[in-house]
Amino acid sequence: MKKIIKSFDHWKAWLYLLPAIVLLLIFTGWPIINTIRIAFLEGYDPMKEVGGETFRIGFQNFEKVVTYKRFLECLKTTMILCFTTVPLSTMLALLIAVCLNSIGPLKRFLQTIFFMPYVTNSIAIGMVFAAMFNIVGNASGITTIQNAGIVNNVLQFLTGNKDFYINWINAGSTYTHNIIVMIIYIVWHALPFKILILLGGLQSVNKQYYEAAKVDGTSRFRTFWRITVPLLSPMIAYVVITGFIGGFKEYSSIVGIFGDTMGPAGNAKALNTMVGYIYDALAGQAGRASAAALILFGIILVVTLINLWVSKKKVHY
Amino acid sequence: MKVVLKNLTKIFPSRNKKDHSEVVAVNNFDFEIPDGKLIGLLGPSGCGKSTTLYMISGLQKPTSGQIFFGDDDVTELSAEKRGIGLVFQNYALYPHMTVKQNIMFPLQNLRGNDKLSKEEILSRTEEAARLVQLDGLLERKPSELSGGQQQRVAIARALVKMPRVLLLDEPLSNLDARLRLQTREEIRRIQRETKITTVFVTHDQEEAMSISDEIVVMKLGVVQQIGAPQDVYDDPTNLFVAKFLGTPPINVFKGRIQGGKVMIGEAAVFDAPGIEDKDVFIGIRPEGFTLEENGPLELNVSGVDVMGRDISVISTHPESLNANVRSIISADQKNEIGSDTVRFSIKPHKIFVFDGETEERIYLQGDQG
Amino acid sequence: MAEKSRKLISEKNMRTETQKAKVGSVIAKIVTYLFLVIMAIIVIFPFYWMIISSLKTLDEYRLPVPTFWPKFFDWDNYAEAFQAAKLLTYFKNTVIVGLVSTILSLVVTVLSAFAFARLEFKGKNLLFGALLGTMMIPGELFTITNYATVNAFGWMKTYTVLIVPFLVSVFYIYLLRQNFLQIPNELYLAAKVDGTRDFKYLWKVMIPLSMPTLISITILKMMGAWNSYIWPRLVANDEAHALITYGLRNSFSDTSGMTDYPVQMAAVAVVSLPLFLVFVFLRKYIMKGVSRSGIKG
Repeated sequence: MKKIIKSFDHWKAWLYLLPAIVLLLIFTGWPIINTIRIAFLEGYDPMKEVGGETFRIGFQNFEKVVTYKRFLECLKTTMILCFTTVPLSTMLALLIAVCLNSIGPLKRFLQTIFFMPYVTNSIAIGMVFAAMFNIVGNASGITTIQNAGIVNNVLQFLTGNKDFYINWINAGSTYTHNIIVMIIYIVWHALPFKILILLGGLQSVNKQYYEAAKVDGTSRFRTFWRITVPLLSPMIAYVVITGFIGGFKEYSSIVGIFGDTMGPAGNAKALNTMVGYIYDALAGQAGRASAAALILFGIILVVTLINLWVSKKKVHY
Repeated sequence: MKVVLKNLTKIFPSRNKKDHSEVVAVNNFDFEIPDGKLIGLLGPSGCGKSTTLYMISGLQKPTSGQIFFGDDDVTELSAEKRGIGLVFQNYALYPHMTVKQNIMFPLQNLRGNDKLSKEEILSRTEEAARLVQLDGLLERKPSELSGGQQQRVAIARALVKMPRVLLLDEPLSNLDARLRLQTREEIRRIQRETKITTVFVTHDQEEAMSISDEIVVMKLGVVQQIGAPQDVYDDPTNLFVAKFLGTPPINVFKGRIQGGKVMIGEAAVFDAPGIEDKDVFIGIRPEGFTLEENGPLELNVSGVDVMGRDISVISTHPESLNANVRSIISADQKNEIGSDTVRFSIKPHKIFVFDGETEERIYLQGDQG
Repeated sequence: MAEKSRKLISEKNMRTETQKAKVGSVIAKIVTYLFLVIMAIIVIFPFYWMIISSLKTLDEYRLPVPTFWPKFFDWDNYAEAFQAAKLLTYFKNTVIVGLVSTILSLVVTVLSAFAFARLEFKGKNLLFGALLGTMMIPGELFTITNYATVNAFGWMKTYTVLIVPFLVSVFYIYLLRQNFLQIPNELYLAAKVDGTRDFKYLWKVMIPLSMPTLISITILKMMGAWNSYIWPRLVANDEAHALITYGLRNSFSDTSGMTDYPVQMAAVAVVSLPLFLVFVFLRKYIMKGVSRSGIKG
């Protein structure tokens, strides 16, 4: 009886899996093979391929990509954003999570507020950030400023100088200022997920460790570094790894602030990222886009492996 | 260092916001723990023994009452300032630190005038490890140790800072039966060697009896009796204490005092001169029975457990509150037990009479106290 | 040992020690709350700014000293936003794409998860492992070829192109399979013995028992449609098919500073509102999926 069920199961299972497998073969399996294939075809062009032309196999696409100044700029921007926002947001989230975990009243209320940015549209809220950093009424360098924007208003208030303002994202703004805005926005957007995971971790830590530490007269600072951080290390490793993976794929938050142009007016693509580069090249230069995608995959893989290796040494169980 | 508890009371507000009832975890606890003694706080779960321990540690604040260490009032002092060592039920060893790091952790916390040199920390760590016989295991992580070894690390960590008082919360409950015996001897030995005033909490009466200098029996936040284990066993002040101490447990019968006799059913089992007639509970320790052909108490035999030197006669009686009446007699007398019924007389000092309503002890002539 | 310990501690003046500790813990409490409240204000400020800006008149928005509460509630901004950004069209497109892709995705996911959780077949573990492996690959790698593929299929600027290519999510299959595995196998075997058909068993037992996960998947999928930007921009960037996020960004692509910000903020608020409602009412389902996935919004 059991055997009958089993052999019957066999083809039935494949029937159940059929829709998923067909779709996955077309839209996941084939792209993996094809992307690798065209990355190694020199001067690949889908139109010419349809026409029966063949292409030489080689590393030309990779060479072109890694020596291409635009791509290197994208790489630089991606790296800067990654290596600033991940540590910053992780530390800030850890601090907030530890504080949240230590309080009684208002805990749930504050927890809800800190989770709010998670369920937002990164493009829509990016536009809000853009509005906050924008200089109102400043059309392309012509000084018709009526209001320097809320962020500049706050800076004016803090410096006491009514005419003080920083050109954050408008025409003529510097790369550094653009990046600062991006970092603030990305950290803001990355906080809720990290707080959620770290707070969950903290809540599962046995309270007796803290009681034991208290009885032994451990200072708050030492308790944090010697007990909380090591006990949380698996969750910290998790948010850092996922943070890096997300960071290397940064794209839509920049669109949110700067729009499709990926840069301030008059300086398009100034803040383009690796993913942005891939999308730009995708229609016309599929070979280069594929090579760039493989490089991105390689970087993510390497960074993830390094992270795992480090956390194996540092994560304590 | 003696520890004095004065009118110690802990009231927990109800968790349910709607009803304002409170839970009195510890009610008016008065006790002086003599210097260098090992004290067992004993009682069923929810009796307030752990709360008492946590109040002595400073992790919980009493609702009212005072705690003194020696002559110092420490009631308002926070846990880290009290100089206590605390061993948790599940040990609370830091999983990411080695045995050595765990033990030296409290010493590394010392700051200012108390700060110790590295050499001193190391030597004291090793001394503590030697005391609990962990010398060879210093570089292991807690997860690589057996339960008994983890327990000893926890004790070493509590001892290393030379506490004024050592507190143990159910120290043996996570160990298997064999280790439990071994470890409790160990705790006794360490306590004797260090002479640190020690309080430990347990729900296991055998454990408390075997190693404590004094035991405190608690029930629902109220101290029932304090005394040396043997004294409490021999002279319980009420039915609860009598039932809680002793393995096998005491046999309890419903009965009455009538005309200066203790009656179970229609049998006058013992003399009670000068006590007015009333309903009572009668407790008889298993070892309090003497086989006697014409003894006053007749039981229906249902079986015999052989325990080597002794045998345990299992029988029933209509007035017994326990399903079975257990009586322990010498194995030599096995042949004298009838197949259906057996008759006993009762040894004095092994029979206790309790008031039928208050369950308080009624002292018969010849009783201690 | 006992003698030394006496020296260590009792010489200190306990009363001042206690007072110091009390003051210290009060200060720590105050600092903690202060930090949390400041951070909370920073976190929530963009939402607040979005809403009050969307209700200001353009003149008020441009005042040299900003107002933190609109002097006059200019609801017309919302009406203008709907016109300027054609939000209704995009909204309709998004709902169609979201609903159809959610329903189809649920069907495919349930069938696959059932096969992986309950049925025995050769190569099951290998196939499942391979599927999980694809989760590591960045989506951009697929997009390049998928762009060519949908082009070859002639699907450009249709609803199909927005629905079909990302219908199957390995992550959802994984999530649901884990849930199915928790349902005791005896229930399935008992149903078999009683002659219950697989579909009936799925419908009557597995699906009701997995409702929370299915709801999580539904919400995440709907939110995915609502928030998707990159793919729609590539393959369906015409007005008739554009989804809401692309439509929103594309309607206000000017960053010159002369933009009518109140209207733009009104449009942003309209797009954010459904997400906010989801957050308020269905937070627990999202958090459930989120804490296991690590995906970013």
